[in-house]
Amino acid sequence: MTTWEAVTAAKPSPGLQRGAAALVTGASSGIGEAFARAVARRGADVLLTALPQEHERLEAIARDLGDRHGVRCVTAAVDLAEREGAAELQAAADDLAFEPDLVVNSAGLGHAGRFSTAHLDEQARMLHVNLEALVRLTGLYLPRMVERGAGSVINVASTAAFQPMPYFAVYAASKAFVLSFGEALWAEQRDAGVRVVTVCTGPVETAFHGHADGTAQQGGVKGFLRRRYMTPERVAELGLEAVEQDRPLVVARMPGVGLLYHPIAMARGLVPVRARLKASERMHRWYFDNRRPS
Amino acid sequence: MTRRPESAALGIARGGSALVTGASTGVGEGFARALAGRGVDLMLSALPQEAERLATLADELTDQHGVRCFTAAVDLAEREGPARLRAAAERRRFEPDLLINNAGVRSAGAFASAPPDSWLGIVHVNVEAMVRLSRLFVPPMVERGSGAVVNVASTAAFQPQPYFAVYGASKAFVLSLGQALWAECRDEGVRVVTACVGPVETRPRSELGADASAVSRFVIRRSLTPERVAETALEALAEDRPVVVMRMRGAAPLHGAVSLMRSALPLRRRLRLSARANRWLYGAGQDGKQA
Repeated sequence: MTTWEAVTAAKPSPGLQRGAAALVTGASSGIGEAFARAVARRGADVLLTALPQEHERLEAIARDLGDRHGVRCVTAAVDLAEREGAAELQAAADDLAFEPDLVVNSAGLGHAGRFSTAHLDEQARMLHVNLEALVRLTGLYLPRMVERGAGSVINVASTAAFQPMPYFAVYAASKAFVLSFGEALWAEQRDAGVRVVTVCTGPVETAFHGHADGTAQQGGVKGFLRRRYMTPERVAELGLEAVEQDRPLVVARMPGVGLLYHPIAMARGLVPVRARLKASERMHRWYFDNRRPS
Repeated sequence: MTRRPESAALGIARGGSALVTGASTGVGEGFARALAGRGVDLMLSALPQEAERLATLADELTDQHGVRCFTAAVDLAEREGPARLRAAAERRRFEPDLLINNAGVRSAGAFASAPPDSWLGIVHVNVEAMVRLSRLFVPPMVERGSGAVVNVASTAAFQPQPYFAVYGASKAFVLSLGQALWAECRDEGVRVVTACVGPVETRPRSELGADASAVSRFVIRRSLTPERVAETALEALAEDRPVVVMRMRGAAPLHGAVSLMRSALPLRRRLRLSARANRWLYGAGQDGKQA
């Protein structure tokens, strides 16, 4: 038996055995796709969902996973920014007789910019997907899981949740929401046999962050930082491990940076709020100006 | 063009103007009264069903303090709500120096057994409406080179809140966004303060019967009142503070100790204790199924 099999044999972990089923949003690329692949690899059936315009890509991934791992892979193309999006998704899953043991809320948008000039509709759409759809979908599936006494939810947040981010203000705030929400749910669902995990990741090498634009090959600070981005595969693995271990939170950080995190966090607490925010404004303005436009 | 004194340009003194949401009761009413008392012209907003209450308050404030006081009854939970409020202000040629983002919804109970209607309002008002209103009213302030925003958040913002999951998360959102805005708007002459307010006692002290327990009376005497909240927030604005935390009198040192102990605990323990505390403090989660 591999270590992983030994662990799962000793303690049944919700949603990850062969024959289980997982619903993954934002599954057409990036972290969502990585989660879909990771759960399929573990022998679970997958319902992949993304925007209607991503439908072909979803189908291609589903076919690939079905062939490779012999699991049932179905797709549903839904716009989660719509108020009824989450409900439509559940209806589509029900029509497909697909009842997930694991729901991965990975769909997300990352609009940035100066708040007072940023496009309001874009910012609102980001709220509808990153925040409202996540809460709605969780609200639709959690009662069923509680009824069964088993199930798990993974919410993909971000290290942006841990501090305010000027120029990424609404994005970071939406992730702060997801983190607070998810941790509260973990505590509420302790005794119901349902696990809720929040995954906070730093920048990950995906289309969201300007994948494969050659920055990693550059010298200097930008290249250095880009080479340290997480991979989506690693994020997915960390997320699934966290479910197995019933951890409320997993933070996936750039290799090397992880060691610095606690001293940085502690030092931050000693700095007065105003100084902290001023420094944050300068740093995030630099990051905003230097990142690849998405 | 004569420049107004800074305090007027921030909407906290005569010559300035302020828009207060959720103004018909509680903390919102506290802000309305505090600002009127300083001679600030007002636009007060609340739900359509509060229109009469709002009108009565507006009349009272105009009589007492001689300030202009417009009202607008708008449901901010509706997606077009904030835009309608903006339109109402423009119709009155009311361009506020100060925006008080106070309107908010709260609900309690285990999330898995809570009907969506109980928490959708929190997302639509505490989060989305707050963003939309800020986006609609701040740019003109930036253009003028002066203005201010007060975001009424909660001490619930600091920790996840089992049995108040969506509410706590919405306040974490406001705390994050408010601070980011403070930083962005610094160089543009616009101040943003986020007030993290503990529980507020809105019942007047006179209403407490003689049969109220000694403990209740003790707590009530030390509780925050809407007036206290408003005054403290406006002072913080004058000092250009990004965040101001308000707790009942005497609670701050106790809370400091609790926070210190809490930060020494591993996350899982901390969350389980929060769940137990919220269940005990608020009787939340007592709805049959053990959550």
